[in-house]
Amino acid sequence: MPEPEPLVRWDWLASHVDVLAFRTLEHVVLTVIAVFAGFLLSFGLALIIRRSPRTYGPISASAGIIYTIPSLALFTALVPITGLSLLTAQIALVSYTLLILVRNTVAGLQGVPAEVSEAADAMGYTSWGRLWRVELPLAMPVIIAGLRIATVTTIGLVTIAAFIGQGGLGFLITDGLRRFFPTMYVTGAVLSVLLAMAADALFVGAQRVATPWARTRTEAG
Amino acid sequence: MQLLTDLLAWFADPANWTGRDAIPERFLEHVLISAGAMLIGLAIALPLALYIGHTGRGAFLAISLTNIGRALPSYALLVILFGVFVQATSNLTVLTNGPTLLAMVALAIPPIITNTYVGLRDVDRDLVEVANGLGMRGAQVLRRVEIPLALPVILTGVRIAAVQVVATAALGAVIGGGGLGRYIVQGMARFDMPRLLAGALMIAGLALVVELSLAWLQRRTVSPAVAPEQRPVADWRSPAAPRV
Amino acid sequence: MRGVPLEFRHVTKVFANSQRPAADGSAEGAVNDLSLVVPAGQVCVLVGPSGCGKTTTLRMVNRLIEPTAGQILIDGQDVAEKNPIDLRRSIGYVIQQVGLLPHQTVADNVASVPRLLGWERQRTERRVIELLELVGIDPGEYGDRYPAQLSGGERQRVGVARALAADPPLLLMDEPFGAVDPIVRERLQNELLHLQEQLAKTIMFVTHDIDEAIKMGDLVAVMSQRGRLAQLGTPAEILAEPASDFVARFVGRDRGLKRLSLSRVGDLELIEPATARPGDDAADARQRAARHAIPYLLLVDDESRPLGWLKAADIPNDGQLTADGADAASPLLELRTTLKDALSMLLDEDVLAGIVVDRRRSVLGLVTVDELTSVLRLPDDARG
Repeated sequence: MPEPEPLVRWDWLASHVDVLAFRTLEHVVLTVIAVFAGFLLSFGLALIIRRSPRTYGPISASAGIIYTIPSLALFTALVPITGLSLLTAQIALVSYTLLILVRNTVAGLQGVPAEVSEAADAMGYTSWGRLWRVELPLAMPVIIAGLRIATVTTIGLVTIAAFIGQGGLGFLITDGLRRFFPTMYVTGAVLSVLLAMAADALFVGAQRVATPWARTRTEAG
Repeated sequence: MQLLTDLLAWFADPANWTGRDAIPERFLEHVLISAGAMLIGLAIALPLALYIGHTGRGAFLAISLTNIGRALPSYALLVILFGVFVQATSNLTVLTNGPTLLAMVALAIPPIITNTYVGLRDVDRDLVEVANGLGMRGAQVLRRVEIPLALPVILTGVRIAAVQVVATAALGAVIGGGGLGRYIVQGMARFDMPRLLAGALMIAGLALVVELSLAWLQRRTVSPAVAPEQRPVADWRSPAAPRV
Repeated sequence: MRGVPLEFRHVTKVFANSQRPAADGSAEGAVNDLSLVVPAGQVCVLVGPSGCGKTTTLRMVNRLIEPTAGQILIDGQDVAEKNPIDLRRSIGYVIQQVGLLPHQTVADNVASVPRLLGWERQRTERRVIELLELVGIDPGEYGDRYPAQLSGGERQRVGVARALAADPPLLLMDEPFGAVDPIVRERLQNELLHLQEQLAKTIMFVTHDIDEAIKMGDLVAVMSQRGRLAQLGTPAEILAEPASDFVARFVGRDRGLKRLSLSRVGDLELIEPATARPGDDAADARQRAARHAIPYLLLVDDESRPLGWLKAADIPNDGQLTADGADAASPLLELRTTLKDALSMLLDEDVLAGIVVDRRRSVLGLVTVDELTSVLRLPDDARG
């Protein structure tokens, strides 16, 4: 009886650090592209909603419907249309970020206290001035919270994108499964979990840095 | 356009409706394993969540679960469990459906607990006090006051979990499990685009049906006087759906 | 910049979803046919019950709301002809909840309009320091703090400083002291009056409190629930000759007592108390206190700030004075405190005399309840 394959072969890991590093980097790049593009798109949508609030319903509903579609299904459904390409993966990944990013950006902008907006207007801020210098900074905590969720979610989705040939840590998983090589797929899986947690922690830190005024809420009378 | 006709042809082909990979079988398989996972998940998560939501104890558990549940890539979880099962057994059925079922249950639990906890905690404390003052015992307060008021949020959590479960079941095919995901796996392996697309559409359709019907059910059962859950998905307290 | 005249000509505002029917069947506005002139450098108080359109009127001046009809002229120029952004940068605006930008420091908040106007940095910084000191906020200590770290009264002072930063000739104030407690409100009112003496801006001040209106206004405009001007006049005129039943009712049944609001503590002759410092000779102090019309000794510190009252009979015959057993020195009145508020404070604390202090809290003199009530008995023209 042949020796059973152990869950993790540490010697393989030690000798393949470069592969692991490469795939991790690839994973990060895919995530960053998706979240960045998603944020730009969501911000644009949020501005449209800010101007005409009635568009929020349809936009939110559409993003919600897309979000409900299981990622494996969305990735593969796009393949016959846009092929096994980066574009296919990014279309799906960006679409998944929309719901949370649009919702949070809108909520953040709306969360600015009414008297602050009124004071800003009365002081003579232009509409754009008010957006960039008053509303956006104050909306930051909520927006970052959204980015946090979007990033962590996207990291998970990128693992599935490997199924349509996109690489990243998902490649280790899919290829490992194909080769019946536990070390590879378990490592890929564990690394993606660690990456997600690291991203989460990073954003928690970012949130604190972005709001120095919230840290000092102590001596009010 | 050619793709569309091929797709329709695939659905029309009787060969796809009989035999081992028949559509009805796969569909039923998918629905059953999803339903099973939901029931198990609810059985585990609901009592626990009702307890910590009603008493307020165990907030740390709720917070941790939310954070973990959100940060945990489901594919990764599935695969790790698969690896563990491979070590533990050589029984094929257990090997293919075990990890999937376990992953589905594990992923269904966080949204149910988070939402139930948050929903119950958000019930106006004054109302609970009044109920206690009227002489209701703990369980009655829970049943007659807290749950009805928290229902929208709780049902949203169930809805999120259900969609998550359907999606994870689809992924299960990648590690050898059954369900509608099989069509996707086969389609990729054989470069059979109609099969691939058919699988994708059926999964998407099932997920949407689950979501919409549970949403409808939510609208029907929640008392109209209770405002629908409108909170933005902002921080840990909000029911954010992890994505599969 | 000194104040400029502000004029309303038949100003009307009807809101789109208004439901108020007028006598002729058309929709009545929140503000109807308002015409009034505020001379340069004066404080005009818009006062009336809630829903009378006073806030709406105020917000039409800086075009946060646009009038449906009529004109508003600042220094003879129609505000509709000016670019709204430029207009607002030339008008100071203070609201009840203050609306300081929470993510900016106190200094940055005050610097808002100068920065919008493109002032150079040094000039802005100097101006910020000047203004904070003017409103009684220490720039060194508070400049880098965030609004959340300030008390309500402090925040509103910063709000006023911010409104004054670009030295506008016109100030709009919407219930600015409504969100602070009465003691703080009184101080802020006094300080605003003091500021106004120096700056002579034109101020339009909205309040629902008739007492505040009488205290603060050179001119009082009483508005009715139907968005119309019920009466325009000096505080004395409003009190002595209400133009209608509505005005009479709004002013309230104690019009006589309210007239006490027309005069201030500073108008009276103050009584000099017997004072001494801790450590002074007790016997001497006891003698002086006993000879005084009010047989009490007021203990003060080195800067003449009050520490407490000692009954003459309780002072030991020898040794040195200590602060032990001294009664709290309250209430404290200022020169600008109205006689009505002063009487109210004395009666609340159930004391015979109140201590009048200056801005540095040094003792200026005393005022007694008797003196205040005797003022009530004087004929109108003798009250001043």
